[in-house]
Amino acid sequence: MAAAPATPPVIELRDLKKRFGVGDAEHYALDGVDLTVEKGEFIAIMGPSGCGKTTLLNIIGMLDQSTDGEFLLDGKNVEDIRGGKQASIRAKQIGFIFQSFNLIERLNVLENVALPLTYSGIHHTKRIQRASDVLKSFHLQNREYYMPWQLSGGQTQRVAIARALVSDPSIILADEPTGNLDSKSSHIIMEELSEIHKKGNTILMVTHNPNLTTYATRVITMLDGRIDTDTAEPTKQEPKTVKKRPLSKSAKPPKTKKKPAKRKAKK
Amino acid sequence: MQLLLSDHYRTARQSLERSRLRTFLTMLGVAIGIASITTILALSGGVSKVIGKQVAELGSQVAVVRPHAALPTLADLSNPSPSNAYSTSPLQERDITTLSELPATEAVAPLMTLSGSVRTHESTPNKSTIVATTPSLVKVNNLKISDGQFIDSVTKQNTAVVGTQLSIDLFGTDQSIGSNFLIRGQSFTVIGVLKRQNQPINYNNIDFDQAAIISLESGKLFNGGVAQIQQINVTAKPGTAMSTFSQKIQSSLTKNHDDQKDIDVFTGKEIAKPTSNLFQFISAVMAVVASISLVVGGVGIMNIMLVGVSERTREIGLRKAVGASNMTIASQFLIEALIISGIGGLLGFLGGYFIAFVISLMIPYDPTFSWSIVAWTASLSIGVGALFGLYPAIRAARKNPIESLRRYH
Ligand SMILES: Nc1ncnc2c1ncn2[C@@H]1O[C@H](COP(=O)(O)OP(=O)(O)OP(=O)(O)O)[C@@H](O)[C@H]1O
Ligand SMILES: [Mg+2]
Repeated sequence: MAAAPATPPVIELRDLKKRFGVGDAEHYALDGVDLTVEKGEFIAIMGPSGCGKTTLLNIIGMLDQSTDGEFLLDGKNVEDIRGGKQASIRAKQIGFIFQSFNLIERLNVLENVALPLTYSGIHHTKRIQRASDVLKSFHLQNREYYMPWQLSGGQTQRVAIARALVSDPSIILADEPTGNLDSKSSHIIMEELSEIHKKGNTILMVTHNPNLTTYATRVITMLDGRIDTDTAEPTKQEPKTVKKRPLSKSAKPPKTKKKPAKRKAKK
Repeated sequence: MQLLLSDHYRTARQSLERSRLRTFLTMLGVAIGIASITTILALSGGVSKVIGKQVAELGSQVAVVRPHAALPTLADLSNPSPSNAYSTSPLQERDITTLSELPATEAVAPLMTLSGSVRTHESTPNKSTIVATTPSLVKVNNLKISDGQFIDSVTKQNTAVVGTQLSIDLFGTDQSIGSNFLIRGQSFTVIGVLKRQNQPINYNNIDFDQAAIISLESGKLFNGGVAQIQQINVTAKPGTAMSTFSQKIQSSLTKNHDDQKDIDVFTGKEIAKPTSNLFQFISAVMAVVASISLVVGGVGIMNIMLVGVSERTREIGLRKAVGASNMTIASQFLIEALIISGIGGLLGFLGGYFIAFVISLMIPYDPTFSWSIVAWTASLSIGVGALFGLYPAIRAARKNPIESLRRYH
């Protein structure tokens, strides 16, 4: 996991802002987010409802555009990536787990899970095979031909997670993946995510459950569209955190300096 | 790419199968349009083919002179009078002489059809045509006599040559030389019987199997002494260039008619063009029906696709989130529209041939099959699908994934 210093961070956000509405209704869901994520990090994002967590994940997944600020993915400014290329990055590199499960109602479980593979140009039979394998690891092999409305809430959520993982993405964006699950099922899911994390993949997970943050290597809390606390700096013992700082500093010294200092005092 | 196409096909089939009735009804619009077009093309192809074959048999030295037919106007369409197309023919007896005096002319035969009954005291055939013409018709039209002789310049008045079928209808036999029958109450004697032709549709608009042929003189007597000629067939001497010959005919007849261009001269394939007003009327009506129903069918496709796009907003958002590009989404919906119009077109094509076949039972020629009909109907139905499917497809592609996901759960 000790990446060579030459590789750029997987995700780098600089003073990222997202505004909704205009005029009097104007409202910043994200109000200046600075964040650097190295390859292989498992980040838990916490924060009160409405603080902009989902919005942040959407922008990182290129489903939404920021209003202001910069977003570099693998060192490349996303504004310079064409729409078609963005789509193929979503298909091959990013796995989304949505806050609400979002399965396609008229496709069965297997087809739902296989969906991302469709857009990375994999043959139908192979897709079904892969989807079936993933479902097995979530103990859903006997639900393959169920339709989404025939599943329980927890099963639905596991199917949605299986879908996010099927194309073996290097970045996983999970918006409350365990929201509806009991603690046992939650831990099964978390074990699965840990497994993926150990393979060297990057995970950003929004959660309201503090117990689950133990699986993460770094915990961020958000407040009113900004990053409030970040365990990356002083407390955690990760070696890569040490490496990361100088890198960011060289890119944007004033911003990165300010952030850790203001961490607590900002409110 | 190929993979995506087969995926799109699979997706489209799934979504179409889910709303079968809706899909079928949408297809119906396109199907009706394509069916009308197929029927028109198949039947007009049939007419042209039959006549074209006859013209080919006659050789390339035939020119046909007909009164100038104005394009059918709206009034003609709402009040068609197909029975007597050439009631006010500008062709005159003088024109026959003029044409025979042209240096390249070999033979000239006028055709004057008369209305009225043909009967004996015992029987009245319900189908018959009275034709007044000159002796040269036998040569110009290459008519074959099975018994007796054709009318000639020395035969007496009140003699006639009859078609085989008419002979059978009148006298119960095709050996009817010397028998008498009545035309408009006036007695005629059969001097010859034509060989059976089996060409009810031909460029003369006369079924010779049902015809009673009398001399032009007798015909004029029925018409107050005036020749009411509706077509003149002219053969040219071998080796004559037909285009110059036809110009020559045109100019000399125009001179005859006080410089009025009231006639048309046809040579070669042009002769085969369907001339019947009824046919043109039916074609025109069907063409209007076809284009209206194609447009209506297209609008139906657009409507259904737009409904589908908004029903599936969430799905579109989700597909985009897991990696579908705008192009992919657009082509998915476009292919769905194309499947609807394509299958509609296919149904229409088959239905059109079925209709053409049913109609052909009532009229005496068969529908033709040609690849150009296939090409026309195929490109029309694909065109309709593409044209009316494009906008919904673009709309689907432009959906914002976040809004789609947020709004519809
Ligand atoms: N399309 C939109 N139009 C207007 N405002 C929006 C839109 N999307 C999000 N917002 C606002 O942005 C803010 C952040 O929303 P977001 O969904 O990111 O919150 P969240 O942190 O995910 O909350 P939760 O934990 O409840 O899911 C909210 O105040 C929300 O009302
Ligand atoms: Mg949220």
